[in-house]
Amino acid sequence: MIGRMASFTALDIFWAVAFLLLMVGGAFLFYRLARRSESDFFLAGRGLPWWLPASSVFSTHTATDTPMWITGVIYANGLRGLWYTFFTAWTAIGAFVSARIFRRSLAYTQAEWQTQRFGGLGAELLRGWMAGWQLFMNMFILGWVGIAMGKVCALAFGWPVWVGLVLPSLITAFYTLAAGYWGVVMGDFLQGIVAVFAIVLVSLVGVSAAGGPTGVTERIVALGQEWRLDAFAFTGWLDGDFPIVWWLTMLVISVLGGFGMGTSIDWYVEAQRIQSAKSVRDSTYGLWAGGAVTLIRNGFWAAGILAFFSMLPNIADAADYELGWFRLGFELLPTGLVGVFFGAILAIHFSTISSHLNLGALYFTRDLFQRYIRPDASEKRLVWVGRASTFVLLLGSFFYGLMMEEITRWLIFALWLMMAGVWLPNILQVVWWRFNAWGYLAGWMANLGVSWLVVWILPAFGVIPKLPDHLQFWLLLALGAVVFIPVTLLTKPEKMDKLVRYYVMTRPIGWWQPVHREAIRRGLIVDEEETPAQARPLIRRSWTPKQAEDWTREDWIAIILSPLVFAALMIGVTKILLLQPGGILLVAGAVVGTLLIYWVIDPKLRAVSVEYENQQARYVAELESRLRWQEVGGD
Amino acid sequence: MDRGLVTLIGMSIAYVASLLGLGLAWWSWRKRHGKDDAS
Repeated sequence: MIGRMASFTALDIFWAVAFLLLMVGGAFLFYRLARRSESDFFLAGRGLPWWLPASSVFSTHTATDTPMWITGVIYANGLRGLWYTFFTAWTAIGAFVSARIFRRSLAYTQAEWQTQRFGGLGAELLRGWMAGWQLFMNMFILGWVGIAMGKVCALAFGWPVWVGLVLPSLITAFYTLAAGYWGVVMGDFLQGIVAVFAIVLVSLVGVSAAGGPTGVTERIVALGQEWRLDAFAFTGWLDGDFPIVWWLTMLVISVLGGFGMGTSIDWYVEAQRIQSAKSVRDSTYGLWAGGAVTLIRNGFWAAGILAFFSMLPNIADAADYELGWFRLGFELLPTGLVGVFFGAILAIHFSTISSHLNLGALYFTRDLFQRYIRPDASEKRLVWVGRASTFVLLLGSFFYGLMMEEITRWLIFALWLMMAGVWLPNILQVVWWRFNAWGYLAGWMANLGVSWLVVWILPAFGVIPKLPDHLQFWLLLALGAVVFIPVTLLTKPEKMDKLVRYYVMTRPIGWWQPVHREAIRRGLIVDEEETPAQARPLIRRSWTPKQAEDWTREDWIAIILSPLVFAALMIGVTKILLLQPGGILLVAGAVVGTLLIYWVIDPKLRAVSVEYENQQARYVAELESRLRWQEVGGD
Repeated sequence: MDRGLVTLIGMSIAYVASLLGLGLAWWSWRKRHGKDDAS
């Protein structure tokens, strides 16, 4: 019964330690590969099959504070709270659009991509700006997630919060320092398996403890709160605390955000996973599958948390009910499985900490040290700078975690607001050739001013009322556009040489006609329309690499179907677990949709990828021969 | 602590970090291109 204290037996301690050794040892084994080069330390040599980035996408989307946050929104809002968690759906379109463009750019980081897309001083300023921003962001996220772990350890063991903050992060740093991204991604794979097992298990145990699916439903109906069982229980178009306009805003932000780069804070982490995949096809499937599993996870979590609510419906303090999922695990699981559950919590924590340690170090090493301080640094030196910056990030995260514990909740809010203000520029830089570095930089600068005005200063002085989050988003977007659109149009476009080189390399989607025509004029690409007319089937399943470079109806079928599949999976899984009508139909529809997407897009992705896979094979062969030379000749 | 004030503090720290990176890029650009060629 929920409410009993958590207890650790010798068997629980054995399982927790066994998982710990498996995850840390498994990651540490890749020490030798990480020291080969900067590319290996930060991108695993760009040679990973899709399922490794996929497990890493899932693992990094599952942080220690994620169960608390999801528990909070489901406990407070019922199943409609699932739409808060749908922000992950940027991966639905992102897998088929931004992932392909970014992978083809070969940029290590989003900051580096800025200097490929834009040129001159503006591009360099953007790269420095973004690297500084990401250095801060990763340190901050490490502190935030570390504090969440401190609270979980306090709940489970009664430890002081700082012990849970410092100890697990130190263990993670051990293998991240040694094995770099190889350790991160291999650890994520093992940790992902453990985490999925625990999430499914605890949700099922929670539902069972509440009397099964019918027990959960009956308890909630008896409370007179049937609306909690309906993911579409909106309070009207504009009114109430859950209006349809809020839902539509969430859909726009998450789903259309997939056309851009950086529209979600998670993009920066996943960009590293996209680039570490061995081909465009692998990066697409890696991001798509990772996003899909994350949303299925949300479906499982929602059912478990609804069960928790049905048993304990009167918890008023958010800090208390946010620990609901952890309480289900610690208080309901039998002896032995509590240790497995704690092992899973460690897994969730390790994967997030290791990812952000390595990513923050990547931005410092690649975008600040190598670009602006020592451009001639050797591979060996870069790896050591990567290790040193990893360690400094770790120490910085302890500072943030301990000093800013009380205010991190609002800091997260502040950072999301900042992302809201640059949401549109992040899309425009991908889809519109005329958007330039000064416009993008102006978007960031404008957001600094307008977000303070909209969120704090104007409401404080009574100039405007305090607006709900979704209206703040649209207002920030409009006020930002008033600045960055004129700045873009009043400054020169990027130089055509720069644009043509970028266009030929990445073949972006959107409004690129002037650059496309110039690339044809220079003989760098051939317009398919200029080739002899061929009978084109409705769905083409045989592609040459050149044919596959254009955006065609096959891409648009994947782009449209993908978000629908994601939504059906998330809602369908919850409905099945609660035995609600329509659940099986939704999941079956999602499976059919997935197979259709694969059937339509896979031949094209294979054609796009073939040249890159060949280049990749040559690169790895060259690297191996150099490594052997170093080992024989000594360096 | 007031939500607005905390928002202000959080965003200021983030922007200071970004401006430091921007300053480093500017310094490097000036070093490479000379003080008279910054456009």
